[in-house]
This record gives sequence, C-alpha cells and structure tokens, in this order.
Amino acid sequence: MRAGRVALLLAAAAVLEFFVGRSPYRRFLPVDWFLLATAVVARSGDFVRAVLAGAAAGTLEDALSMPLIGMNAFAKAILGYGLTLVAVRVVFGGSLAVGLALFVASIANEAIVALLSALLAQSPLVIVTKDALWRAAVTGLAGGALESAWEFPWREWWTRRRLRRLR
Amino acid sequence: MRPHSARVEVAAVNPRRGGAVLVTVLLACVLVLSAQAPARGGRGTVLQAWFLSLSAPVMRAVGGVSSAVSGRIAATAALFDAREENVRLRRELDARERELFRLRAEALENAEDRRLLGAGSGLPSVVGSVPILLVERRAGAQSVLVGAGSAEGVAPGSPLAVPAGLVGRVVTVGRGVSRAQLLLDASAAAGARIARTGELGVVRGDGHGTLVLNNIATTSTVAKGDLIESAGIDGIYPRGVPIGRVSSVARGSKLFLEIRVTPSADFSRLTDVLLLAPSPAIREGVEAGRSAPR
Repeated sequence: MRAGRVALLLAAAAVLEFFVGRSPYRRFLPVDWFLLATAVVARSGDFVRAVLAGAAAGTLEDALSMPLIGMNAFAKAILGYGLTLVAVRVVFGGSLAVGLALFVASIANEAIVALLSALLAQSPLVIVTKDALWRAAVTGLAGGALESAWEFPWREWWTRRRLRRLR
Repeated sequence: MRPHSARVEVAAVNPRRGGAVLVTVLLACVLVLSAQAPARGGRGTVLQAWFLSLSAPVMRAVGGVSSAVSGRIAATAALFDAREENVRLRRELDARERELFRLRAEALENAEDRRLLGAGSGLPSVVGSVPILLVERRAGAQSVLVGAGSAEGVAPGSPLAVPAGLVGRVVTVGRGVSRAQLLLDASAAAGARIARTGELGVVRGDGHGTLVLNNIATTSTVAKGDLIESAGIDGIYPRGVPIGRVSSVARGSKLFLEIRVTPSADFSRLTDVLLLAPSPAIREGVEAGRSAPR
C-alpha cells in the first residue's frame, strides 16, 4: 500500500473517530476506527508500514482522546506488527474471522493502554471493562461488515440486477 | 487476509526490518510517554526521574573522579607550599636554635657569674666576673685572654681569682679583651704568707703547673698541708686570698727551704674568673700615667 493511501486512510479514520467514534466530542459509536485503519494497512503484509501506520494512528487517537500522547501509539504499533504477522502467516478469511481478530486486537489495545496508564499515570489496572468489551464488539462488527463488503461480488450482483430488470 | 502483490511478498518474508522499526517506535513512544508522565512524588517527569536514576552512578563517579583530581591538584599545590613552608620553618628553626643556644649560654654564664660572685663574696673588692676566652700554655709561659677590657673597667695589674684561690693578674688591657698572666707562669711572682706561722715569702710559678714558695728560712716550722695565702706586700695582690697548700718541704743546701705548693685554684677548669680591684698603688700609677703631660 502506498504512503498516500495510508495517509488518506488515517485521515478518514480521524474524521470518523471525531464525528462518529469514541472521541470526547461525540460519543456516538465507540468504534476504534484507528484500529481498523491499522488493520487495513497490516492486511497488505508490509511490516514497516503497518508499524508506522499503527504508531501514527495511535498518536492521532491520543491527540483526540487521551491525556498522555503515546499510549495508543505504543499499543497500535504492536498491534500493527501482530496483525501483519497474522496476515502473512495464517490463511483465514471471512467476516467472522476478521471480526474476531479485530475483537481480540481491540481488547489487547485496551489492555496495553491500561497497563501503560497503571505504570506511568499510577491509575488502577483494570484491563477488561464493560466499555472495553462494548468497544471491542462494535469494532469487530464494523471490521466484519467491512470485510463482508470488501468480499461481496458487487459487479456480479449489479449484472444480475440489470438482467432481472431487462426481463 | 493475504498479501496482494509481489512487492508485499518480499517484505513479508523478512519481518526483521519490521521488528527493528517496531522496537524503535516503541522506544520512541516510551520516551514520549515518560517525558509527559509525572514522576512519583510529583516532582518532574518519569523521564527526568529515569535520567537522574541512570545518571546518578555516572555523576557519582564523575564527582569522585573530579574530587580525586582536585584533591590531587590541591595536594600537589600543598606540596609546593609545604616545601616553601618547610624551608621557611627550617630557617626559623635555625634562628630559634641559635637564639636558644645564645640564651642558654647567657643563662649559664649568668648562673656561673652568680655562682662565682656568691662564692667569691669572701674575696676582697670583687669588681665582677669575666669569661676566659683563651688559655695559652707554651714554653713556661702561661697566660689567658679574658673577655673584658677597659670598657668594662679592667685596669692593668688587676688581680684575677676564683673562689678557691688566686689565679693571676691582668698585664695588658684592650678595649674588649685583656691578657692576664697566670700564677703558674714561670715569670710570675706574688708575695705570700704561711697562714699558720705568718712567715712571708715569694711564690713563683715553675711553668709546669705547680708553685714554689721561696725565701722561707730553714728554721721555719712549715709543714705539708699548710695554707699559703697572698700577703698583700707586693703592691699587686690583696691580702688574704688563698694561693695553695704546701705539698712538699725539702731542705736544700742553701739557707732557705725548698717548698712546693699545690695551687688552690684549678687552673685546668678555668672558664670564668673574678676580677678584683687593683691595689691602690697600681691605681695611683695608672691615674698618674693618664694625667701625665704628653
């Protein structure tokens, strides 16, 4: 994936996070759009770009929603590497598998951030919360939906529809 | 999830580069986080606390080295100062030792003077004590240099004595020193008297450490051990000062006895002597010499 596309993807994730994500300005739907963007870059199989994209996405997320910049960058850089490893080593597909992978990744993201908060900000260490589960579930659902949309045979569907109308 | 292109395949088969980038990114994140997170205790940030913790041993080592170096420099500088101070102190010590030596000598001299004056209180008309500077003994001539002269009131003919007995007389007077003839000199003579019998004679030095009493008739009852004292008849020595004791009496072939006298004064230990006032005859002669027209 080219750098321009990565930047465009991150910009879209930032806009979505700001307007329909978990940012403190709008609490519409707590989807981790930055994690989705990182996963999309990781799907290309490029470790370096996945790590850098994860770090950039995490930094943007921290700038939007966290008191300390760097926690989500730390977590998403690791997740970018991990998701790339999954993408190149494990052969699996389908919206369910992708949704489960993103669910686990979101939980891992929350756990890493909670650990860093406990270490650096002396906050209590709570890894799995209701909010974190809800966010992970919504992120997994969004990821699964995007995977389904990505894999859907839109051209064939459109051709069949045209043929049905012509009859 | 599969790689889509050949370019991606190449990157995927070598994840080490991605691992290195991941480690670098994680380290950067840790640094950024630690630079923001407050340290425990609320003073500074975690990064500052880490930096201080890591640099403390280094700073301690640097401080130790610095203090060691500065201590060495100070020690070297102190060494140079110590050398100079050592030289100065040595000079001062030498000066103090000289001063101490002089003071000790003066104290000893004063003590000796006091002892002499105290012991010589029985002697007639003692003027003071004078030190012996030099003893000359050669070919029968026995004389001494005394450390007093005309400035101290010494006059030619002034008798010298110690508490034990008569020593001699001043023959030459300088401004600060004088020469005196000892009784032991071969040419010295003094009017003498046997204290027990009252007989008068003349004591002469033999030039070898003893005295000879002359002019005592063979009819005398002088005996060994009799005290011989000055008779005061020679115009030089005052009367009654001990001269010595008879050590031997022999009858010679002439009219007089051969009497040997052991001096009362210990001429081998002369360090200070008492200066006696010259006899009136000598004093008048000196004054007459001074007032005589030139």
